[in-house]
Amino acid sequence: MAEKKTVPEILDDMALKILMIEPGDLSVVGELVTLAEQLIGSQDGAGSPALGQMGTVFLDALGKIIMGELDDSAANFERLGKCISQMQEVLRKEGQAGPAEIDSYRAIMQEIGLEVDRQALGGGGPAAPAEAVAPAAVAEVPPVAAGSEAAAMENLPDFLKDTELLSGFIEEAFEHLESIEVNILELEQNPDDKDIINNIFRPFHTIKGVAGFLNLTDINKLAHATENLLDDVRNDKRAMDAAVIDIVLSVGDYLRTMVGNIKEVLQKGPALYKKFEISDYVRRVQAVQEGSSVAPAQESPVPRAVAAPQAPASAPVTPTVTAVAVATASQAAAAGPAERHPGTPAALPAVQKKIGATIKVDIEKLDSLVNAVGELVIMQVMVKQNPLVSAISDPKLTRDLGQLSRITTELQKTAMAMRMVPIRQTFQKMTRLVRDLSQKSGKLVDLVMTGEETEIDRNMVDSIYDPLVHMIRNSVDHGVQPPAEREKLGKPPTGTVNLRAYQKGSAIIIEIEDDGHGLNTEKIRSKGIERGLISADNEISDHEINNLIFLPGFSTADKITDVSGRGVGMDVVKKGVEKLRGKVEVVSTPGVGSQFVIKLPLTLAIIDGIVVRVGEERYIIPTIAIQESIRPQRDQYSTVHGRGETLLIRGHLIPIIRLYEAFGVKSTYTDPCEGIVVVIESELGKRALLVDELLGKQEVVIKSLGGYMKDIKGVGGGTILGDGRVGLILDLAGLVAASDARD
Amino acid sequence: MDEAMDVKQEGGQSLKGLEGKYLTFALGKEEYGVGILKVREIIGVMEITAVPHTLPYVKGVINLRGRVIPVLDIRLKFGMPVKEYDERTCIIVVEIYGPSGPIQVGLLVDSVSEVLNVTAAEIEPPPAFGTHLDADYILGMAKVKDKVQILLDADRVVGKGVLETLETV
Repeated sequence: MAEKKTVPEILDDMALKILMIEPGDLSVVGELVTLAEQLIGSQDGAGSPALGQMGTVFLDALGKIIMGELDDSAANFERLGKCISQMQEVLRKEGQAGPAEIDSYRAIMQEIGLEVDRQALGGGGPAAPAEAVAPAAVAEVPPVAAGSEAAAMENLPDFLKDTELLSGFIEEAFEHLESIEVNILELEQNPDDKDIINNIFRPFHTIKGVAGFLNLTDINKLAHATENLLDDVRNDKRAMDAAVIDIVLSVGDYLRTMVGNIKEVLQKGPALYKKFEISDYVRRVQAVQEGSSVAPAQESPVPRAVAAPQAPASAPVTPTVTAVAVATASQAAAAGPAERHPGTPAALPAVQKKIGATIKVDIEKLDSLVNAVGELVIMQVMVKQNPLVSAISDPKLTRDLGQLSRITTELQKTAMAMRMVPIRQTFQKMTRLVRDLSQKSGKLVDLVMTGEETEIDRNMVDSIYDPLVHMIRNSVDHGVQPPAEREKLGKPPTGTVNLRAYQKGSAIIIEIEDDGHGLNTEKIRSKGIERGLISADNEISDHEINNLIFLPGFSTADKITDVSGRGVGMDVVKKGVEKLRGKVEVVSTPGVGSQFVIKLPLTLAIIDGIVVRVGEERYIIPTIAIQESIRPQRDQYSTVHGRGETLLIRGHLIPIIRLYEAFGVKSTYTDPCEGIVVVIESELGKRALLVDELLGKQEVVIKSLGGYMKDIKGVGGGTILGDGRVGLILDLAGLVAASDARD
Repeated sequence: MDEAMDVKQEGGQSLKGLEGKYLTFALGKEEYGVGILKVREIIGVMEITAVPHTLPYVKGVINLRGRVIPVLDIRLKFGMPVKEYDERTCIIVVEIYGPSGPIQVGLLVDSVSEVLNVTAAEIEPPPAFGTHLDADYILGMAKVKDKVQILLDADRVVGKGVLETLETV
């Protein structure tokens, strides 16, 4: 049960993936295939046949994209996104697909290039959809594919011999590609900075060298061609311009896909190996090198016979010469990756930007250090509180103990800080995103980043990436207006998206602010009323209305884009942030812009909690969910027949959960008016938890209960309390759900 | 010889493979042994935090130098009468194979005895009946120095127990 995703979750995931997909990024398409299969699987039997069939057609389309029979263009992915919206719409109608939905679904699929038999989506007939679609699939499979497949199998053992070296290379290559991207974007700002060119040149050179060494000829060739181009730029043989930046970026992306494929092969077996066609890219790189700007090669392929008169110093331009290049490269590689290419002289030992020296540490070692230090702190307190020790009235001992506790505290702080990394890397990826998005949409957008040095928990870095991408996309796609419209409004033609990070108390704040047209509060209000989320006569502030966009009902792209141009899948963002125990809010001023504020805990390892006592046991309630705690009066208490007990607190009837009952332990008080109730806010509404006593507020380190014990309803984990005992951290959502189920 | 071995063992597991060192401990009147390679450490009994919605013999969790590990009461697991914990009560921390790598689990026993070297000649297959124990957990019976030691399969004792916990949730 815990493993299985619900249908809405699968669709949400698919919607998110499709939004983030980049043309040529087949790994994401692969993830989509998995999701689509899950969707179809979940619709077998009791599910909706219409959804199952739509899913099957979707899967078919994905398959063709992977096979290259359909274009993996951005436009097609957008259409697939619409298909997902259609499926979500069908889901909202409880699986009943009307002819209108079916027709528009078919129409979109046709736009993509997939002929869908009406029967396949008929909704009624049990005719196997896959077969019905099959005739359309006949689209001739290029014989080349089969051939290269076989060739790939033969090739495989060649470079797969040394998996250890190879996996080292993969990690390294990803790092290099990332630094290439960061540097090239920086270069765009300062085109004359030779240092930056060197910083791009060097990783390409390393990738080329190691790839040659490992016999990854394709990667080697492509990196080599790009290196030559950069060499020319560095030696002032070719000017640094947008064409160079574009080609280097797209080569970087392609290399990443290739390396990603090798990684997959290593992890999941050689069947996944894919032969990548690089000649196109090599031609484009060479074309750029010669100065002619031939961008998309499939439209105007450069004649093969082009010689290289303009660039005599750089070696290979024609395919004939490439062979020579490979030979040189493998020579260089044979001498080890550190060996410098003969064509790249003194420029290499260039000035690198001064950064602090770092080492990589296994995360497990780090965790055990943190554990050990935590224990040290506890033991230190226990020694100090030992009655025999505290009876000694020796000033030296007192002084030494004080010193000891200062040192342990310092040690603990340092150990914790070791888990933190600057948010810079994540932010820098956004630069690329904004650049691509603004080019695609024809808008002018400046991304201004501040506080990149703010540190967040290492484990959070990956999880925060998706929500950030989502919101940045939102701001650029829908927030910032096109230049013409902006000028009409008296704004500068270039829009600004501010990305800020800073620490505020024990929280990290990330803000994304655009100066676009803001949310259309009125439209959201009417949509909310239409969906029954709010009632028409409710007096709700604009702020609360705006935050309705985070509700799942507002997730469909074409629903809300028509009205206000906002709120694409924001519930996905909210879920992502909440998984990190954070909060997200939107503040918007019509005409001026909108601002998304994400509030995250400093670290995932520590939680702010209130320690409560129930009988002999102590539990920790996460502070973020607590509203208030009170000792209820007799007149607040009432029982509702068949619904249990409630307390009337500030005009709201709040159901009581007796913690001792929920957990089956003995408690001091069983009368709510003698104990204390803690009012908590959960997904399912407010609840009043009856406990015996509040023991205080404490920051606790979260520990898993280990092994199999993590799925216990109502318990989110454990922690070591000040006396060395384990305290359980409550999982409020699980607790409320379990107690609702019992009632 | 091989045939004789085959007849001797019923569980399909070679008794020869059971040779080796065992940590023995007492539970009531009986002596049990668990493979020494499974044992991580032995600690005195400490305060155990109860975890709700678990089976009775899952006593809860303890803090093992910063790690939180579950503790099982073997007496309750084997259906023996409850005994008050005293200064001889021990927690044997064993490492077993979980679905996602090795996990450590504490086993509460009356007292720890010694480390025994058991040879194949001393081991007999578990009896088919005549014991109140589920024979699944038993690897074999060892007769060493006129005393009978019941050799336990730590993975089964623990694994089955905790998996049952999961199912009841």
